[in-house]
Amino acid sequence: MAAVRSTLPKVTRRAQARLGIIFTIPLLVLVIVFFGFPLLSSLYYSVIAYDGVTANPAFVGLANYVQMFTDSEVWHALGNNLIWIVIGTIAPLFLGLVFALLLWSVKRGSRFYRLALFFPYVMPGVAIGIAWSWIYDPLYGWLNTILRDIGLGFLATGWLGNPSTALYAVLVTAIWGASGFVMLIFLSALQNVDMELMDAARLDRTSVAQRVWHVVLPQITPVFIMVTTVTLVGGFSVFDIVFIMTSGGPDNASDVLGTYAFTNAFQLNNISYGTTIALLITALSIPCAVILNRIQRRLSIEGQGA
Amino acid sequence: MTAMTSRAPSMTSARPSGYRKTSRRERGNRISRHTALIILSLLWLAPMILIISTAFKTREDVQVNPFGLFTSFSFQNLVNAWTEGHFNDYLLNSVLLSIPSTALVLILSTFAGYAFARLPFFGRSVAFYFVILGLLVPFFAYMIPLYFQMRGMGLLDTLPGVDLVLATTSVPFGTFFMRAFFSDLPGELEQSARIDGCSEWQIFWRVMLPLVRPGISALGVFTFLQTWNNFLVPILFLPGGSFRPLTTGLFQFISGRQIDIGPLAAATLITLIPVVAVFLIMQRQVAEGFISGAIKG
Repeated sequence: MAAVRSTLPKVTRRAQARLGIIFTIPLLVLVIVFFGFPLLSSLYYSVIAYDGVTANPAFVGLANYVQMFTDSEVWHALGNNLIWIVIGTIAPLFLGLVFALLLWSVKRGSRFYRLALFFPYVMPGVAIGIAWSWIYDPLYGWLNTILRDIGLGFLATGWLGNPSTALYAVLVTAIWGASGFVMLIFLSALQNVDMELMDAARLDRTSVAQRVWHVVLPQITPVFIMVTTVTLVGGFSVFDIVFIMTSGGPDNASDVLGTYAFTNAFQLNNISYGTTIALLITALSIPCAVILNRIQRRLSIEGQGA
Repeated sequence: MTAMTSRAPSMTSARPSGYRKTSRRERGNRISRHTALIILSLLWLAPMILIISTAFKTREDVQVNPFGLFTSFSFQNLVNAWTEGHFNDYLLNSVLLSIPSTALVLILSTFAGYAFARLPFFGRSVAFYFVILGLLVPFFAYMIPLYFQMRGMGLLDTLPGVDLVLATTSVPFGTFFMRAFFSDLPGELEQSARIDGCSEWQIFWRVMLPLVRPGISALGVFTFLQTWNNFLVPILFLPGGSFRPLTTGLFQFISGRQIDIGPLAAATLITLIPVVAVFLIMQRQVAEGFISGAIKG
């Protein structure tokens, strides 16, 4: 790059710089006004006591942070986020890999299967929430109907209204939504898998499980890490589907940090406190993204070298 | 960045098979694969089927048997949702929110992506990392102060204001995406165009831009779906309800005291139809957009 640039005459370089600045200024203005500025304001909001109305809110130092770390509901919500992250990462990875492997050598109908399995990922969250709350409906819902039909009626419950099942019911919905996306990523990675290696392994009379574990997985590890990053980082800021299906209820049972921050800021008018919790979400998700990104880069560099 | 070029899986089979003789065992294997895939596909489409079935039920049938599949047929629910439910207005608002913001994202990120890839200027990498920071920072980090900032600017509860916010949430990815496309183009193209007497603008407009059209269309489809489906931005920044899009319109519907399931299903269907259409017509671009969407950061 540098070599190319130095060969250009000064006039050209100046013309490039001028056009470059003209091309980026509109973007920078937008991002500064609607992203940079409110992001900095966030830090300010977290050290004042703002209720959304008062003109000159008092400076309270770290009081919001102290309140946050001693608020048992924050810890409870964070616990739910961790459940969400662990199950909501592992299950779609597993299902996505199974789908991809099932589809790998399928020719006929492959297009239909892909579309069907991936479609939930592009559905709007509200539509997903509505359809699934019907499935979970205590009276008419398919889930309870099936349970009653197969003689497991004692398991039937109001899945979203029962505090001990609400979070998991929403989580199942989220897993259903994400698996097809993971499948799509794996399918594109599987295209690069060395088929000769697979055939050699097949000739050595290895089982399917052995082939997947020893041949396929090592070749798609960077993709594995990438998908983990996406689902894991998203797990801290999960909001839409929980808010739509349970609003964090019943009685805070399915609250995650996102819904708790939202409720505080926009329903209880604890603007500053809500902002502080939102900053906690940020502080948790950024390091995870950076670390996993590093691992992924290292792996893909090693992969290229091999 | 190299991962950027990973192609979207084409919707046809990825590996050539058939060079091996098909044994009975493989045939059995194939049948069980298809059985598993058909069951899974039906399971994954079930909520969609449920929505369609309930949307076309008659009023009486919904009351006694809301989720029984295709037991009656009427357009009553659709008519209801469209007129009494105001989903005709919501549809218009959704269009007015997603089309302008998508257009803005495409314009800004194509220009800036080109500059970040091929037009060196002082402070360029700082500017780029600042924009890319938006990929790393969740919307939560700044949405609450943004609410009060919008109120102060008089942009709260206005369509242009929310269009700008929607564009801001999508533009870091768009810039990153377009920059990768422009970086992949060979430098010789630029040099020969310059020798032919093209100005820097002409190099961009006549030579480079036509070559990244596939990228622009993938980004367009991706951004459109993201903004169409967006829930948090309109629910926060359009609190008045006069410019409610489909997503928050549906949410309003289910937060009501008495939920009328039939029209609700019809309204959900109205929300989904454009998504299904875009998804089916532009499946290659959708796959490409979402796969690179995952590689961001």
